[in-house]
Amino acid sequence: MGDVAPGQWQRHAQVLFAHAARAAVAATLLAIAAPSSGEHPPERESAAPPGTDFLPSTYRPLPREDVLISGATLLDGVGGRHERYDLLLRDGRIAAMGSSLPRTEGVRVVQAAGRWLTPGLIDIHSHNGTYMLPVVFENPPTWDVAEMSNPNVAETDIQHAINAQDPAFALALAGGVTTLQVLPGSAPLFGGRSVVLKTVPGRTMQDMKFPDAPQGLKMACGENPKGNFGSRGQAPTSRQGEVAVMRAAWQNARDYLGKWRSVGEPGGRDGGEGGGHGEPPARDLELETLAGVLDGKLRVHLHCYTADDIAVMLSIAREFNFKIAAIHHAVEAYKIPDLLQAAGTCAAVWPDWWGFKMEAFDGIRENAAYLDAAGACTILHSDSLFIGQRLTLEAAKAMAAGRGAGLDIPRERAIAWVTSNPAQALGLDDRIGRIALGYNADVVLWSGDPFSVYSRPDQVYVDGALAYDRHDPARQPVPDLLLGHPAREDDE
Amino acid sequence: MTARLPPAILLSVLGLACAPAGSETVAIVGAKLYTMTGDAPVVDGTIIMRDGRIVAVGSRIAVPADARRIDGRDRVVTPALFNSATQLGLTEVSSVSATNDYAVSDGPLGAAFDVSHALNPNSLAVRQAAADGLGRAVSNPTSSASAPFSGFGMLLHLGGSDALEKPRLAMFAVVGGQSSNRAGGSRSAQWQLIRSALDESRTFRGGADPGGARDSTFNRLDLAALKEVTENRVPLVIDADRESDIREAVALARDYRVRVIVKGGLEAWRVAGELAAARVPVILDPSINLPLQFDELGARADNAVLLQRAGVLIAFTVSLPMHSTYNAGSALREVAGLAAANGLPEAAALAAITSNPAEIWGVADRAGTLAPGRDADLVLWDGDPLEPASLAVAVFLVGREVLPDTRQRALRDRYRPQSQALPPAYRN
Repeated sequence: MGDVAPGQWQRHAQVLFAHAARAAVAATLLAIAAPSSGEHPPERESAAPPGTDFLPSTYRPLPREDVLISGATLLDGVGGRHERYDLLLRDGRIAAMGSSLPRTEGVRVVQAAGRWLTPGLIDIHSHNGTYMLPVVFENPPTWDVAEMSNPNVAETDIQHAINAQDPAFALALAGGVTTLQVLPGSAPLFGGRSVVLKTVPGRTMQDMKFPDAPQGLKMACGENPKGNFGSRGQAPTSRQGEVAVMRAAWQNARDYLGKWRSVGEPGGRDGGEGGGHGEPPARDLELETLAGVLDGKLRVHLHCYTADDIAVMLSIAREFNFKIAAIHHAVEAYKIPDLLQAAGTCAAVWPDWWGFKMEAFDGIRENAAYLDAAGACTILHSDSLFIGQRLTLEAAKAMAAGRGAGLDIPRERAIAWVTSNPAQALGLDDRIGRIALGYNADVVLWSGDPFSVYSRPDQVYVDGALAYDRHDPARQPVPDLLLGHPAREDDE
Repeated sequence: MTARLPPAILLSVLGLACAPAGSETVAIVGAKLYTMTGDAPVVDGTIIMRDGRIVAVGSRIAVPADARRIDGRDRVVTPALFNSATQLGLTEVSSVSATNDYAVSDGPLGAAFDVSHALNPNSLAVRQAAADGLGRAVSNPTSSASAPFSGFGMLLHLGGSDALEKPRLAMFAVVGGQSSNRAGGSRSAQWQLIRSALDESRTFRGGADPGGARDSTFNRLDLAALKEVTENRVPLVIDADRESDIREAVALARDYRVRVIVKGGLEAWRVAGELAAARVPVILDPSINLPLQFDELGARADNAVLLQRAGVLIAFTVSLPMHSTYNAGSALREVAGLAAANGLPEAAALAAITSNPAEIWGVADRAGTLAPGRDADLVLWDGDPLEPASLAVAVFLVGREVLPDTRQRALRDRYRPQSQALPPAYRN
């Protein structure tokens, strides 16, 4: 699973299998292994292994047929570029690719000469569904981006707040995004769990939920937490206060995980650091999330702007032996690309945001190009329902800045910033983010060069099904919100 | 990388580092020229600048022997860009209130609030915008102590000696659901207040106004300021998105015979015919295709296309707060490109960021087009100017080359990938 160390997963499996006899845990395990089998909440409230996701996916691929897309310029997402290439989507997977694939009866052929193919885009930083349009800030607001009552709300889960009818999902799909991560906001230090969704419309969030995708934990450092809580006379009021609260929480999580690891071992003799006595600890939803991170099950997505803040966060991750999947909004990452590269932590950045707050004061447009040149995992993210519709243009601007600084980055490399690199950070690089045999058939057929403002996704396939077609209104989802408004009626 | 010049030469007119000698004769040769004068682009064209003005534009122009020649092959020249709504020069870091001067919430200044006294030409965003090819910008107040008026906005010329081309360029007001609380809670009150302010201003006789109305709603400063509108010396810019408000704006222009400009205008496509007939221009961000507010339920991606087709004079701005001022040049070009991608003819998309704003804001005699006698404000691009991936190769304002000595450039050069023994702080 992604870049989580195999050892961590092994340990996690041991904990689970130690409990195989317990029906409740077995049910939980089933819920993890086969999410569509229905909800089976554990009988014992204490029997929840760290990091367990209790909301199963009810996603079903749209009706699909086998498709051969023929003669396109193909960017595979991991550095490859092929001209006049064919791509066969069968049963939801990439089944074949090459020059002049044989035509088979029953396979629909899409002529794509002059058009481009890329993997489905991945937006690793979205608030869609929680920033529900039209946005209402009055009491009660429609805004559910973050629980603001405490700097540590690791017990919250953004899945409980998402409105599947947010029109931003449909426009992200029309912009070529097939997968996005909805993250909690950045006011708390520990903002709660994230979720990975497909942009395929559903009646509920669970209909859109990416099956078996690891959840993330959103964290934040720097100005936002201390500003939000400090201004209310609450801790933290400073950067050092933020780090102290974080470290205390991680220590508690380490103890909690230790108890879990000693479960089933008589007397806990061989148990973890917590020295458990064979029984699971009393359930603590907050620690269940944090221990899930230490156990390698939840992936950390950390909002952090400045070089110093990022370096401190990487140090804390080393101290408590967890990995940060990605630093988001890493405006000053260009100052320390080597630190990120060494930690195997991705930097998710904008191409051109700067100046609007003190920790964004040093933003430069060459950020992504410099990170890429240093071999650091580079991602372009949106954090915006408008920018989330045009991620390849964000990459185009970052490429241009690189060109201006003497770093020529070819399109086949830059496309990784919005495909395979975010897939890696999400722990989904075994399924999405590239066009390769056996991968999910999430592909975008562009009208032209995907880095040109004039190009548009003509077709977007998710799991091999045509989820969006620019030339077929029957394949253009319209969210509930946009129905029936006189203000949208067109007499023409 | 920019050649390093002695500090004396980096002397900046307006905080912009400009190459010396606006009197230098410069010729750009062999470029594609978007003159914005109604003709098709000149292919393999030449443009000559001298003494801060354009002296010749065309396809077979002799280059004076003393001219500095710039190779324009495979490159494109446009007039310098023109952004019709920013807070340039009125903010540095938007989260730091001490650097923000675009609004007042207390005190006697309503319509009379005039942001021009706060203009900071040394603002980093001003220099960044110039390096990105922006020549002119409207910089406007966002609210005042007497809603719905926000006060006077100004016109900036980033190539001018102090950046301020025209203070008190236009009166700004904001109407709509988001702002109605400041008028008591209803947008109807906002319209009544605007009308009553114009009425009072008409009869206001200045000074202490002896004999004037005793229950005047607006103070004498505001009423004096609004005379600029009622006596048709400046337009009234009304920030509104909902169809009903845009119709009210058109009605206001008709009833009071004042010049009205609609800004925002996300539902303006529904009123396109009336706006065109009343000659009310619209300042809009054409990239907004979803309703953030109830007032914007009709937002759609081809708003600009429908307005232009109906004959409405349109100009662009950028509404995303991270871009509107910080990337006032580059993001403006990007939204124009998105408008073109959504069906606006390319020439019309370019016009909305060059010649149209020059016309709307009354400076078409010197800005917005490439023609003899105009200010030598132009940009040489390394590709299609509507492509976000194109870069400005050279920017000329008043005939002087704007060097890209931005703070971002300094950081870029300091942290350029390289291995050095000394920390970045020694790379100067």
